[in-house]
Order: sequence, then C-alpha cells, then structure tokens
Amino acid sequence: MHVLSTILSLLLLYLSTWAWAVDVSQEDAVRGFFGNSTTSGSGHTNNWAVLVCASRYWFNYRHMANALGMYRTVKRLGIPDSNIILMLADDASCNSRNKFPGSVYANRGRHLDLYGDNIEVDYRGYEVTVENFIRVLTGRMDPSVPRSKRLLTDDRSNVFVYMTGHGGNEFLKFQDNEEISAFDIADAFEQMYQKKRYNEIFFMIDTCQANTMYSKFYSPNILATGSSKLGENSYSYENDNDIGVAVIDAYTHYVLEYMESINKTSHKTMADLFDTYDVKKINSHPGVRSDLFKRPLDSALITDFFGGVSQVEVSPPPPPPPPPEEEEESLSDVQAPIEGEGERKPPRHQKQQQRVHASALSQTSPDAGTWRQLRAWGSIAILGCLVGWVGLRK
Amino acid sequence: MIVDFHRENPNAARRISFIEFDSLPFVPIPKPLTDVVLPPSSRSGSSPLVGASPSKRASQLMSSPKAGPSQNAAFHLGIAFPSLVIGRLLLELTSLPALVKDNQQLSSALTSYSNLQEGIYLFRNGVDPYSGGSFRHSPLYLSLFATILPVTGAGSSILWTLCDALGAWALVNIWRARQRVLSSQRDTLVTAVYLLNPYIFLPNLAHSTSSFENTLMLFSLMFASQGRVSAALLSFALLVHLSLSSIVILTPLLLLLLLNPISRLASPKPLRSFGVDFKSLIPYVGEFILYISALTLASTSVSGGWAWIPQTWGASLTLPDLTPNTGLWWYFFTEMFDHFRPFFLMVFSVHLVIYIAPICIKFQYDPLYAAFLLIGILGTFKAYPTLSDPGLFLSMIAIFPEIYPYFRHPIVTALLHLHAALLMPLFNHLWLNQGTGNANFYYASTLVFACSNGAALVDCIWAGLRIAIGADNEGYAVAQE
Repeated sequence: MHVLSTILSLLLLYLSTWAWAVDVSQEDAVRGFFGNSTTSGSGHTNNWAVLVCASRYWFNYRHMANALGMYRTVKRLGIPDSNIILMLADDASCNSRNKFPGSVYANRGRHLDLYGDNIEVDYRGYEVTVENFIRVLTGRMDPSVPRSKRLLTDDRSNVFVYMTGHGGNEFLKFQDNEEISAFDIADAFEQMYQKKRYNEIFFMIDTCQANTMYSKFYSPNILATGSSKLGENSYSYENDNDIGVAVIDAYTHYVLEYMESINKTSHKTMADLFDTYDVKKINSHPGVRSDLFKRPLDSALITDFFGGVSQVEVSPPPPPPPPPEEEEESLSDVQAPIEGEGERKPPRHQKQQQRVHASALSQTSPDAGTWRQLRAWGSIAILGCLVGWVGLRK
Repeated sequence: MIVDFHRENPNAARRISFIEFDSLPFVPIPKPLTDVVLPPSSRSGSSPLVGASPSKRASQLMSSPKAGPSQNAAFHLGIAFPSLVIGRLLLELTSLPALVKDNQQLSSALTSYSNLQEGIYLFRNGVDPYSGGSFRHSPLYLSLFATILPVTGAGSSILWTLCDALGAWALVNIWRARQRVLSSQRDTLVTAVYLLNPYIFLPNLAHSTSSFENTLMLFSLMFASQGRVSAALLSFALLVHLSLSSIVILTPLLLLLLLNPISRLASPKPLRSFGVDFKSLIPYVGEFILYISALTLASTSVSGGWAWIPQTWGASLTLPDLTPNTGLWWYFFTEMFDHFRPFFLMVFSVHLVIYIAPICIKFQYDPLYAAFLLIGILGTFKAYPTLSDPGLFLSMIAIFPEIYPYFRHPIVTALLHLHAALLMPLFNHLWLNQGTGNANFYYASTLVFACSNGAALVDCIWAGLRIAIGADNEGYAVAQE
C-alpha cells in the first residue's frame, strides 16, 4: 500500500517534470523567437512613440519643427501612424505669419518639408494639455476618446517619449499657461509600470535645463536623455531668413542629423548615439540617465526605440489540404497527443488545422447548393403537376 | 295559313311556351366597325331551341361556334400574326431594350427586370433574395428562372416575345368566344391592337414581368370564356401569386364561369333570370383556394421560408418602395406624414376593392365587360402600375366594338391619352435625366394620365350602359327604371 502510493507519487513527479520540460521548452522557443542572437535581447514586440511639442505661438516655430522632425524620423524607421501620438500645441504650417503656408522646415534654405501631406497630428492646439498628456501615458480616458488618441501599449511595447518646449528646473511649460513637473512624469511612468504598459521607455527631452526633468524617475527600464543640465539653456540651431524665426533647436538638430545615417537594418546602438553628443556644437551639456535601464547601452539598438522593426521568421509553406474524404483521419490526428518535436510541430499542426478548415468549408457549400436546387425543382414539380392535372381535366 | 305551315313543317312545335331569343338565328345589323356577318346559310345546322319544359341552365344554351364566313380572315391572321411577332423579335435584337430597361414608367419596383436578375443571382449564390429590399417578385419567378427559363440574353428576348404573342392569341380567342365564331375578319385587328400598342410593347421590350401578368390575365379570361373552369382558376391563381391586386378580377371571373362571354350589353337582365346556380360557385372557390395553397406551398419551398409574403404581396399593401411610376400612389405617399400612413394605405387599398360590387352588380349579365372595367380600374389605381396595365385596358376595348357608337367623348379621351403619352416621358426625362424639372412636373403628367384613363373608363361604363337603351329615336325617349 505504502509502496504503491510512493511509486505513484514518484511517477506523477516524473511526469510533471516532463510537463515542466515541455513548458520550459515552449517558453524557450518563444523567447528564442523574440530575443534571438541577432537582436539586442530587449524582448519587445511593438514600438510606440509619444512626441510632444508643448509650446505655441509663431516664435516657437522651432519646437514644432523639433517634434515634426522626430515624427518624420520615427515614421521613416518603421513606426506606423497608429502607433504614434503626435501632440502639437500650435499650427505653424497654417499660421498666418507663415510665408510658406502648409509647410514646416527644419533647416535654413528649406530643403525638406516636414509637414507634407501625409502627417497625422493626434492632439492639436488646445488639446495639448498636461492633463491630456498624462491621460495618454496612463491610459485613463473617457470611453468616447477614439483609438487614434490612445496609447494602446502592452507590456511588450517599447515607448519613445520625446518632449520639447520651454522648461526649467524640473518643469516644462505647456501652452504658456500651465506646466508639468518632473514628479508628474515620474508618477505617470510608474503608473505605466504598474499597469504593465511598457517594456522599456526611452525618454528624450529638449528644453532649457532638460536633464532635471528625468531626475525624478523611479520606475525600472527607463532610459532618459536631455539636452542641457541644471542651470543651462538649450539653444536653437539656425534661423531661416525667409521664415524669419529659428527653425530647429541645436540638440534635436544634431540628433536628427545622426539619425539620418540610421535605417531599419542598422545595428547602431544607443551608446553610439550618445557618443555623438558634442558639447561645443550643441552649446550645452546633454545628459543620459541609464541607472534604471537594465541592459547595457552598447547592446540597446537605436531601432529598439526609434524604429518599428519586427522579427520575422519565414516558415516553409504548408502542404495543400487533402480532399474532404480524409476528414476522419485528420480529426483523429488532431486528437492524438502532440509530441514535443521541435520544428515538426508547427507545420504539422498547421496542416491539420487547414485540413479541418477546408473540409468544414466544403461541407456547407455543395450541400446548401444542392438543397437549393432541390427546392427550386420541387416547386417546379408542384407547378407542373398542377398544370398537368388541369390540362387533363377538361 | 297556319295549317299550311304545320303541314309543311311537321316538326314545328305546336305550342310554344317560351323561346330563348339567344338561340334564334337573328342576323345582327352590321355595325360599321364590326365585320362579322354570318349569312343565314351557315346557320342551317342548328334549330332554335323551343321548349315546353321549365327553363334550362344557361350553359346549355351555348351552342358550338359556327364556321367562319370566309378563308380571308384566317389567311390574314396567318400572315399578320407571325409578321407582328417577327417584327417584335427584330426589335428585341436592336439596342432599344437596353435603353428602356431601367425606365420606371415601363417597369415598377415589383416588375423590374434588373431586380429579377439580381434576385436570381442572389438565389444562385445562396443568399436569400427576400432578406434585402430590392427583390419583390414572386418566388415562382425564382424557381422558374433559376431552373428552366432563361433570364439573360437572346433566350429572355424570345421568352418575352412569346409571352406577348400568347397574350395576343388569348385576346383573339376571347374575342372569338364572345362572338361565338371560329375566326372572324376582326382577328387581325385585335391582334394588331394588342401587339402594336406602345403601352404594351414598350414594357415588354424592357423585359418587365408585367407582360407575364397581362398574359396570365388574358389566359384566365380566355379559359373562362371557353368554359374551362380549372384552367381559368389555375391561371388566375398564378396571376394572383404574381400580383396581389389582380384579386379584384375574381368576382367577374367567377361570374364568367357561371355564364358565358357573349355580349349581352344590349339586353341587360338580372342574373337570376339566366337560371344560374350560385351554389356551383362554391366548388370553384374551393378549387381556387386549393390552387392558391398549392402555389403558396411551391413558393414557400423555393424561398425557404415565409419572408416572401411581406416582400411580395405585402408590397402592394404597405408600399415600401416609393420609386416614381405612372401611378398615383407614390407621390402621395412621399409627402405623407408617418402617423397618417396606415390610414391612407388602407384607404387606397379599399379604394381598389370598392369598385368590385357596383360594377359586378350593374354588369352582372355581361361579366366579361365587368372584368374589362375592373382591369381598367386596376390599371388606373393600382399600387405599382406600369404602362402595361392601362395598356391592357386600352387594347381590350378592341373586343367590344358594340359600344363604339355610344361613346360620348372618344376624341377628348384620345387627346388626353395623347397628351399624357407625350408629356409623361418628357417630364420624366426632364426631372430624372436632365435635372431641369422637378418631381411636380412628372407628378402632374401622371395626373393627366390618370385623368385620361379615368375618362376612358367613364366613357366605357357609359357606353356599356347606354347600349342597352339603344339608338336615339326622335319622338320618344327610353328611361331606365
């Protein structure tokens, strides 16, 4: 009796280790797919971007050009419009003082129109408020807010947050009448962490005394960088003589200039980006905060945050589904226990699924068609009987 | 002299208690528009029915039709009929059908060819055609066109031409049954009046299914005139399945089955005096209900449910589709407030029904004429008419030549019809194609059309009654009690 029970329990234990092994092997397969040797091991599956220009009025043209430049780069590297929240506090392109209406340029000589005709601004004008920004980050929104204005991230999303405007010691000015503090952003990021709304966050900010804005973060997996340290201003880069105002900020200009050398297949890392910071050119001291960031900076790819690069594995095409007579065989195959044979598993399962699916489809259509024909001919038969009977009667 | 008479004719009856005037070989005075002149020699075979026994059933009085007077009539018809049909086929082969296919005056929401094709396509692809709002044809069309009949191309052109040819043949047979001849010289005229009537051949070119309804109406009247009860009731049941409003013709049809189609307009008598047995109507009604039920069963089986009833029959009663047509309902109901809609739908439907009793009572002695008048009423006041409904009424005037001298205002009616026939397509084009007119133009022209139909109806009713009084005589007047 005792012996039997111990043997039984040992057997169960042994079988359960099998289950663990199967489990672990499945997890390994998934992890291997998403974080295999060619990637940086970040474990993200999708990319999002929140680009905020917080200042309005014509003389802050460069802030809008900053945000639009980042928007263009991020789109070029693969993040779709549905995954970008672009907040522009003012409309520079259609401003009545814009000599080139419908366009926003970021360089002297106006060589590249950042506005174009294919941009999607999600929050515009007076919608860019501190409250809306925090609602976007935390996801606490009225049910009536449309999907395009929501940050629909999950715990496998890498989020790039870029903010630009006028700022100071631990604050950023929104719309000339309110401000957001570093504590607010830190708390928002903590909410995101608690709600599992990000995998990793890359926070970039281009304002005066920008580095103070990321000093209060306390959630894990956040990499932050800013344009100038405490007590320093951030300066604009150049003016365009025909537009009449400054068209880009120096820090953003040099970052964007570096990003022009990046494309979707690039393996440049964040460390490479930070190495290009030149204090003399930018006229301020950009900073990096990486203590909350678990991975080493020289293995975090730029495309982990700036681009929407996805992992693709090309599997061999499945064999064509057999005719419906083999339906019983395929059903029994599906019910049989699936052995844990690595690469045979996916195509076989696919094949069986396709077989069942095809047989289910073909079963409805010819049956229904013949039933319809039967009904039509049946009514013709009734009609013919009536006509024949009447014809024979007199 | 009487003794001499009886010596020479030993078979003559000695005592006469009554004579059926219908059986006496009276030679009718040839009217200018009628050519039927039967010389007395051809009637030698029959003898007058003189009897000393109680009255017999009126059906026994219907003697066999006499032989035609000459070969010319048959010869003319033998040439005219095929040539008209071939001419129609040639017209079908031109581009004219494609031009008129979608004209709303030639086909309504219930009879449109495009809707028929769409319904057949949906049926063939497994979608229930009655789940949408465009297919309002009877399911019998589904079963016929999805299986044996062609719905596109040359086959459908031949089918529609055949339908009209059969309708013309039925009209000629009705005429012959009314005159009790095998053929007459007027046959060609009757055929031509039916096949060349633009109100009939234009909807036929547009492949509107109202041609089938006309043909079935003529078939049921033809079978009833020939005394074939079951055939008449079956074709009428089919007609009611295709178009619910035609049920108003049931009463004169049943009366026609009881009596015969010969013209008694000049001698009105109450129905009782014909000695008809009204109880014999009960098996007829029962047979009709049986046919309707069998066809309902066939329709339900082909459409796979009962959804066809509100979509087809219900359409005439609830007017879901307000596409402009030549009738009077659509405009009225476009500007109808919703809370009045059920009331006015009821009023318009009852309006069709209220004419049955007066017309059948007044013309109880000539039910074919009653049917003709009710067809006219249908053509004017139906829910979804096309041009072929008043067209049938106008073509059927051809088989009642006895009333022509008694029309009061034929020229006014003809001019009104000409007026309407010119203005209706013009205003339709101005409103819908060119955009320089509006709905009121077209509505006004449909009002003129209804006025012309009404004038024709009123004139036919007047003439049908006036013929009983006879030609005007100086010196005295006949007053009807």
